[in-house]
Amino acid sequence: MRSAIDDAEAVARARGGDLDAYAVLVARYTLRAHRAAFLLGAGEEADDVVQEAFVKAFRHLSRFRVGESFGPWLLRIVANETRNLTRSRRRRAALALRLGAAEPGGAAAGGPVDEVLAAERRARLLAAVNTLPDNERQVLVCRYFLELSEAETAQVLAWPLGSVKSRTWRALNRLRGLLVPGEQSRISHG
Amino acid sequence: MGDRPGWQGLVEAELLAVGRSLEVPPAGDLTAVVRQRLEGRAPSRRHGPALGPLRGRLRWRAALVVLAALLVVLIATPQGRAAIAHVFRFAGVEIRQGPGPARHPGSRASLPGQHGMSLERARRQVSFPILVPAALGRPGEVVVSDRGRVVSLIYRRTPYGLVRLDEFAGHLDQFVFEKFVHSGDVTEVRVNGTRGLWIKGPQELVYITRDGTTVAASARLTTGNTLIWGTRQVAVRLEGNLTRTAALAIADSAR
Repeated sequence: MRSAIDDAEAVARARGGDLDAYAVLVARYTLRAHRAAFLLGAGEEADDVVQEAFVKAFRHLSRFRVGESFGPWLLRIVANETRNLTRSRRRRAALALRLGAAEPGGAAAGGPVDEVLAAERRARLLAAVNTLPDNERQVLVCRYFLELSEAETAQVLAWPLGSVKSRTWRALNRLRGLLVPGEQSRISHG
Repeated sequence: MGDRPGWQGLVEAELLAVGRSLEVPPAGDLTAVVRQRLEGRAPSRRHGPALGPLRGRLRWRAALVVLAALLVVLIATPQGRAAIAHVFRFAGVEIRQGPGPARHPGSRASLPGQHGMSLERARRQVSFPILVPAALGRPGEVVVSDRGRVVSLIYRRTPYGLVRLDEFAGHLDQFVFEKFVHSGDVTEVRVNGTRGLWIKGPQELVYITRDGTTVAASARLTTGNTLIWGTRQVAVRLEGNLTRTAALAIADSAR
C-alpha cells in the first residue's frame, strides 16, 4: 500500500531531504519521545529536549542503519539530550514522578477497597523508585515505564546489555521488600 | 528467564502498572517548529530567555493554532498535490490528508492476533478499563487484538446498522491507527466534557504496531462516519452509519 508509509520508508525518504516524510516520523514519535524525555528527567523542558532531538536526528539520519528500528534509535538521542540538560543544570536528574489521579469508575477488578490498597502500594513503589540511584532509576524507567526490551534499553541508554541486566536486577531487588511481605530483611542497601 | 524467581515477576507487574498511571504532561505539537528549523527558518529554542510561567500558556496556544491551521488545510487542499500533505494526531490516531488508496483495502481486513472472546474475559486481558456505551447495550462481539493492545466491540444489529468501537489504552505513546482523509471534513466536538474529533465520510484506516510499522492486512475503508475521543485511560474510535447527534449520544453513554 503506497499511501501508508512505514518508518523505514519515511526514513529513506527523509534521508533524501523529504521534509514531508520526516514530518510523519515527527508526528508519529513526538508523544513517545516526550514521555521518554519527561520520565528520564527533562521535566517541563521535555518539549525543548524533543525538539532538539528531532533536529539532531534528522541531521544524523545518514548514521541510521537499514533494518534498525527508528524508535530506539531516536530515543537514544532523546536520552542523550536529556542527559546534557540535567548535567547543564547541575541537578540530580531525579524528577519526582507522580501518579495521575485515578479515574472514577475505572477498572476496579476487586472493588473499591482493593483499588485503594493497590493505589497505596503503587504510590509507595513509585516513591521508592524516585529515591533510587540515577542509573537504576533510568533502567527501570526504560524497562517498565517506557516498556522497552533489554536490548532496546541498552541501545537507548548506551550501556552494555550486561549493565542493563545487572542494574535492573539490583533495582528490582531493592524494591522487593516493599511488595513481598517478609522480604524486608533481604533488601540490599549496597 | 527460566530461573527467574516469582517475586521478580510480581515487582515487574507492579512497575508496569505504575508506569501506566504516571502523570505525564501533554506534549506540544512539534511538527511545524522542527520543520522550520530544518528549513533554517527558526532559531534554536534551547538556551533562549526563559519565559517563566507564561511559557506553558504560549506553547499551548501555538499548538492550538497549528492544529486549527492543519484542519483548515486538510479540507481546502486539492487532492493529490503531495503524497503526505498534512499530519496531525489525536487520541492515538494519526490523521493525514493524502491521495486515494493505492489499492482497494481488503473487505476482510484484520488486526494482528485478533481473538473473539466474552466481554468479561476481555476485561481481564487488557490493561485499561473497557468502555461500553449503555445506549447500545452489550456488544454482539468482542475482539481483543495484538496481545491486549486493542479491544473492538462490534454491534451488528443497531438502529444504525453495523457499529464498531475500537478502544486502546489512553496512555499509549504510539499511534495505533492511521487515517487517510481523502475527502469529508473534520470537526472538533465535546464528548463528556473532553475534546473529540468528528470525521465525516469514509477514510482509509491502517493499524500501526508498537514499533511503528503499518500492518497492510489491517487496511480498510471505514464505513459511515467516525468519532474519536479519549479519557485519561482509554482512547476510543466509534465508527458507523451514524449522525453526529447519535454518535455523541452513544459516546456520552459509554461507561
